[in-house]
Amino acid sequence: MYRIRFHGRGGQGIKTASRILGTTLFMEGFEVQDGPRYGAERRGAPMFAYVRASMEPIQERGIIRLPDLVIVTDDSLIPIPAAGVLTGVAERTVLLINSDEEPGLWRERLALAGPILTLPAAAHAPHINTQLTSVLSTGAAANLIGVISRRTLEEAIRKELAPLGAGAVEVNLENGLKAFDLTVVLKGSVREGGKTQAASYDPPDWIDLPFEEAAISAPAIHATATSERVKTGVWRTMRPVIDYSLCNRCWWICSTFCADGVIRVDEEGYPRIDYEHCKGCMICVAQCPRHAISAIPEHGEDTGERQE
Amino acid sequence: MKRTLLTGNSAAAWGARLADVDYVPAFPITPQTEIIETIAEWIDGGRMRSRMVTLESEHSMITAAGAAAATGVRVFTATSSQGLLYGMEMLYTVAGWRVPFVLVNVSRGLSAPITLEPDHNDVLAARDSGFLQIHCATCQEVLDSIILAFRLAEDKRVRLPVIVNMDGFYLSFTREPVEIPDTGSVRQFLPPLDAGDISFRASAPISQATAVLGGSPYSYFRYESHMAATNGLAVYDEAAESFAGLFGRSYGTVEEYRMEGAEIVFVMVGSFATKAREAVDRLRGAGRPVGLLRPRLLRPFPGKALRKLLAGRKGVMVIDQNLSMGKGGVLHMELASALYGHPDAPPVLTSFIGGLGGRDITPEEFYEMVAVTEKAIKDGSTPPPRLLYTKRELDEVRKLQAIANVERRETGKGE
Amino acid sequence: MNEPKFRYMKDLPSARLLGSGTAMCAGCGGLQALHGIYDILGEKTVFINAAGCMTLLSVYPFTPFRGSWLYTSMASAPAGAQGVRDGLDILLEKKRISTEEDLEVVVLTGDGAAYGMGLSSTSGAIERDLDFLYICYDNEGYGNTGQQFSGATPHGARTATSKGPRGFTGFKKDLFSIWAAHRPAYVATIAGAEPLDLANKIEKARNLKGPRLLIAIAPCPTGWDYRPEDSVDIGKLAVRTGIWPLKEYIDGKVVHTKIPHPRLPVEEYLKRQGRFAHLFTPAPDTALIAEIQARVDGYWKGVV
Repeated sequence: MYRIRFHGRGGQGIKTASRILGTTLFMEGFEVQDGPRYGAERRGAPMFAYVRASMEPIQERGIIRLPDLVIVTDDSLIPIPAAGVLTGVAERTVLLINSDEEPGLWRERLALAGPILTLPAAAHAPHINTQLTSVLSTGAAANLIGVISRRTLEEAIRKELAPLGAGAVEVNLENGLKAFDLTVVLKGSVREGGKTQAASYDPPDWIDLPFEEAAISAPAIHATATSERVKTGVWRTMRPVIDYSLCNRCWWICSTFCADGVIRVDEEGYPRIDYEHCKGCMICVAQCPRHAISAIPEHGEDTGERQE
Repeated sequence: MKRTLLTGNSAAAWGARLADVDYVPAFPITPQTEIIETIAEWIDGGRMRSRMVTLESEHSMITAAGAAAATGVRVFTATSSQGLLYGMEMLYTVAGWRVPFVLVNVSRGLSAPITLEPDHNDVLAARDSGFLQIHCATCQEVLDSIILAFRLAEDKRVRLPVIVNMDGFYLSFTREPVEIPDTGSVRQFLPPLDAGDISFRASAPISQATAVLGGSPYSYFRYESHMAATNGLAVYDEAAESFAGLFGRSYGTVEEYRMEGAEIVFVMVGSFATKAREAVDRLRGAGRPVGLLRPRLLRPFPGKALRKLLAGRKGVMVIDQNLSMGKGGVLHMELASALYGHPDAPPVLTSFIGGLGGRDITPEEFYEMVAVTEKAIKDGSTPPPRLLYTKRELDEVRKLQAIANVERRETGKGE
Repeated sequence: MNEPKFRYMKDLPSARLLGSGTAMCAGCGGLQALHGIYDILGEKTVFINAAGCMTLLSVYPFTPFRGSWLYTSMASAPAGAQGVRDGLDILLEKKRISTEEDLEVVVLTGDGAAYGMGLSSTSGAIERDLDFLYICYDNEGYGNTGQQFSGATPHGARTATSKGPRGFTGFKKDLFSIWAAHRPAYVATIAGAEPLDLANKIEKARNLKGPRLLIAIAPCPTGWDYRPEDSVDIGKLAVRTGIWPLKEYIDGKVVHTKIPHPRLPVEEYLKRQGRFAHLFTPAPDTALIAEIQARVDGYWKGVV
């Protein structure tokens, strides 16, 4: 069975991407399972999707623990433990990352022995509603799996993207097929994984749940503002940066309009952005009357020194 | 202590009054309404120091009950039938808040067809909600159970809401002699609420009833509630013992009636069980070794006690005043699961459905159930479940159908 | 009428009391309004919530609140407020807590609960003269489930369940008037994009007793389909085109607190949002735009 996991951010279209891949495999005669998995988080937050394909009926369900192929549509997710990108990644797992950086660099950084591929083109594709970066990785993945024809990929993209309109189909088709062609030399490098063995296994470490009084075991939070432990800064793909030479210390506009309340004003009246929590909505950029705040890519050269 | 004639509804109101409840969210529904009317009158007359608020639905009523309980006051409320079902979402919800309060349900058959007289499908729909359930057979028991229920709900080992159930009409509107305990003794048994950490206070901010995502934490919270409910058995036994000491009335988790040497045993809940007591007496008089078990607690389910009490008996007759469509009697299923696989379990477990929508169960029917079960024991085979329903009743329905102009076609022959 | 407490933007509190790190979408207009509201109401509050996007503000063990919170159900948050208010009143009356421990009870729901499922329990709470605040963040659809239309969806808007060429064929329910018809202590509309107006209304409501209900327009990048950075602009345009009148009901009278002058054409607001894109492409639906404009004009005709 092929077990393929997609990691991306809400809004990048990884659900669509997983469906395109599911459809291609189905059209190639496989039994298929595909589905997204998301929690409470929204656009920009890490999420994942998965595809299973097998020539036999599929009985497994839910989370893929031991993937054969992991597709990462946003390389900034990799260092985030909560995103779980590397969960179950073994030597045989192929890692396909939308990234500018060389596979060798990722291999070293992640201390992984298995095959790693990067798609620089996808890393630069704009995130807009009709053009899905994740389709690029799907196109590449289709070839890596080795059992999907170019024609099937084309048909699946047309089928799954039809509701977005003809324009969206054409641009994504072009991107998806380009990525497919790009990986032709690596065709078939993803191998089907095996099944767990009942004859020998590690037994679960079941325990008898201890009874705890409702003071402990009710779903109540006896603390305040604990949400600040959630570093929503990782949702950001763009970073708002204040040019203090332009800031006129009006203080209230960016701070008041910040949807997440993460812009505070220091003693001198300068606004300070809390990057640990800023989700990168860019309302401050749009509202600053002096245009003192600009948006830069999260992975760009400018890392926000101008704030200092 | 004084003894006086009270309806089940009045007895329930007395239970709330003696428990010195702070808050009574209410909504009228037959046959429960007399409870809130009585309490309203006492509050208006200055005889009860509670605040009563009439909400616009049972859904809101149970929400308000849970929310007030979450603030740390003692809450009593009451409903019936459709009202309990209308509030069903909130029964599950407030139980998950882990707040103690007491709700009286006056059982009444469910719609459709809508009806007025009792059976237990309403309260059994709340079976899995997290509320504990005490089922009463007499008006005295209604009053006493409410006081017991507050002890049970508020115990730190439990901290869950409790439903006290009584049958509509048969108890709610029926007067019986009831001993009203004196306030001092009740206070001794049930001190004022120690809310502990259950509160909304400026000095102790708390986010209650938050969302929980992920199967692992969710399983934890749900299973902890289950264990708290299960703790209810031991906590109830302690409370019942202390209650007996103060008031001289004993209420086990399971009421035993003439179980000495009983080979065949009726098992049922609610007020119709007193009819079974009468039948047992007659049967004993005729030399038949018959007994009766009446679980008072349905949640937590006293499975162990029932298993022990039924060990070595020859046959059990379960009378269900409810019907799980497509399966049968709920109590029968519950008992079967408690007995199955235990070597001493009675070999025959017969199932009877009776008393739906307040339909009577006659003495002859009790006797016949015994005869059927005796035959099953002798034959070594259990008969299929039986609806207690006579030919005469069907004839009556036929007459009604004729008036309703129901067109009867021969079936199976085709047109 | 007394002078407003907040005369200039610089008078506004800047505490940013509500914690960050919530699961709300980037650029959530409802959350932006809530920040402003929370800075004024402060920590001595208990928020009673109904099912909606903001239910996910408090996901165990994370909460942004510095005061208290109780999630109830979609239909019955006002009844939850009733229980908590009554509980606190009983505790105060029976002297089991001191007055310093008292809390302001605040219902927080989306439009799905406010305009629809929870309307009966809101009506009941007002009728009982419950002393509470009600904040509705109105994103004009069932946003938490993917923006299907609700009783708050405006005419013509495309939603997940109104994808036809004319969008939603129904009309936005006039919740302000429905609430006001109950004659509560206070009703107002607010917008996060108009922070001064918002702050003064919250401040006014805070100092009144009885039922006080406010509807905040909650521009929703996810459900209305626009870029998150446009949230505040869209909120401002809703006010300046007259689509979202800022007003209040108090002492039996409705007063408009900000009359847009000049009032911009509704296109300025509609064209910025994907949910109205079908009014402009492939060809402008001038009839429908005119219909929407006429409705807005008709409203203001009755005002000035």
